[in-house]
This record gives sequence, C-alpha cells and structure tokens, in this order.
Amino acid sequence: MEKSEFITLIMPFKDKLYRLAKRILVSKDEAEDAVQEVFLKLWNGKKNIENYKNPEAFAITMTKNYCLDRLKSKQASNLKIVHNNYQTSENIEKKIEANDGVEIVFKIMETLPEQQRIVLQLRDVEQFEFSEIAQMLDSNETAIRVALSRARKTVRDAMIKNYNYGIS
Amino acid sequence: MESVKIKQLLEAYFEGTTTLAEEKLLQDYFNNERVADDLVQYQPIFAGLKAAKSERSTRTFALPESKPQSNKAWWYSIAAMLVVAFGVGGFYLSQPNYSQEEKEALEAFEKSKQAMVLLSENLNKGTEQLTVVGQFGKTKDKIFE
Repeated sequence: MEKSEFITLIMPFKDKLYRLAKRILVSKDEAEDAVQEVFLKLWNGKKNIENYKNPEAFAITMTKNYCLDRLKSKQASNLKIVHNNYQTSENIEKKIEANDGVEIVFKIMETLPEQQRIVLQLRDVEQFEFSEIAQMLDSNETAIRVALSRARKTVRDAMIKNYNYGIS
Repeated sequence: MESVKIKQLLEAYFEGTTTLAEEKLLQDYFNNERVADDLVQYQPIFAGLKAAKSERSTRTFALPESKPQSNKAWWYSIAAMLVVAFGVGGFYLSQPNYSQEEKEALEAFEKSKQAMVLLSENLNKGTEQLTVVGQFGKTKDKIFE
C-alpha cells in the first residue's frame, strides 16, 4: 500500500482515535502520543489492514487496547496514582468549581470506570451502532447496553447533584 | 417538540434502549430548541457530549519513510549472509581434504621419504669415509713418488 493511499484510509478517523485516546488517558499530550503510536503500528502492519472489513473499527480497537495498556503500565510504575475509580473530595470540588456545564460533564466522564467511559465515548460522542461497538470492544450488545446505561445514569446523577447544589 | 415525548426518550436513553435516531432527536432538542424548565438540568449533558465531539488534535501525525528503511534492512541481511558464507566456505577450503586413497598414498609417500632420507644419510656417511680414503691415496702417492 502506498503512503498516500494509507493516509486517505486512516486520516478520516484520526480525530475519533484522538478523542477516544483522550477520553481514556485524559491528558492531551498522552492522547496525541498514543495516536501517533497507533498510526505507526497501523503503518507497519498495513499489509493486514487491507484484510479487515472495517479499518476504522480495527483502528479504534487498537487505540483502545494501546491506551488501556498505557494506563496499566502507568499504574504499575506508579508514575501517577490512579484517582478515577473513586471520587475524592478534590474531584467533587473541581466539579463544583467548573461552572460551565460542559466542563462538568467532562469531569464526570473522567470519574467513570474505563469500560463505561469507552462505551459512552463510542456511542454518545461518536454515534456508533451497538453492533459496531460490540465488535470494537470484543463484547456483546447486551453488555454494551448495560455499561452504557450505567455510564449515562452516573453522569445524570452527578449532574443533578451538581445542579441542585447550584440552586440551593 | 413536546416535552412529554422528550421525557419518554430520556427515560429510554438512560436505560440504554434508544436508537441512534432517537438519540439524535434528544441531541437536537437539547442543543437547538428552547428546553422546558423541568428538563433544563439535562441540557449540559447533551451540550457536553456535543462539545466532546468537536475536540481535535492540532498535532500532525507523521509516518516514517519505511521503504528505504526496509530495503536497507534487506541489504544488511544479505551482506551478513555473504560474510558468513565466505567465512565458513573459506575455512573449509583452507583445510586439506583428502580421500581415503589419497591419505594412504600420502602416508606411503611420507614413509618412502623417510626411507630416502635414511638412505641419503647413510650414503653421506659413506662419502665422508671415501674422502678419508681419497686423502689416504694422495698421501700414499706423495710418499711413494
């Protein structure tokens, strides 16, 4: 495959890959590094990508796996203490400080477990079908729906809490 | 759109049972229309999701020029193989490699060479003795002249 051909195949979904990476890794720089890395991997394995029916789904799966690996290795090497599996008082304070509703949603999304975060990103931000998401995450549609429902409810509950706090 | 319909959609939305089309209706309602007062608390969710989609990276992602690189690697492996082949081949060629017959012949040759050397040594001893005899002859001639 020629370089130009590869670029026209991959570039249309580079932003999706970036947004997914950022949703998982939170940091902008790390997300960009991850996308660069995934691009190199795709390029090196470009002979295979033609065999996949859906290169986009393939690239998304690869990005997800790479980012989760990055998270794991970060946890293992203790570079950053993971704080997103539970809500610290600091997190809640940050949420309240952020007056902009959009900012609050972003902060709440950061507090979700990774799998829910990924599902919410792929469905509510990128608008993929359940069947596509199930394929990308190597899961089934029911599990995706359950994770999505939990994620949406968590966001809703946190938003309402925040909203009521704002009024009272 | 009437807020009753939206409420139903919202309920389904949180259960994860809405279709993409229905979710688009919700998106449009909360982002473009005047939102009913009792639903305004949900608005930031959809505004946030919409904003999340507009995130872009400004970095340009580079691809390596992989063709010359892979050619180079190819040439390196060929060169390494040639070096190894010549090394091994040269080593074998430098070792004398005789067949059984040749070995026997060589052994016989060595033996006969030894025998020849022995012979010539003894012959040399004989010639040494002969010079003494020669000297003896000369002295005898002087005396009996």
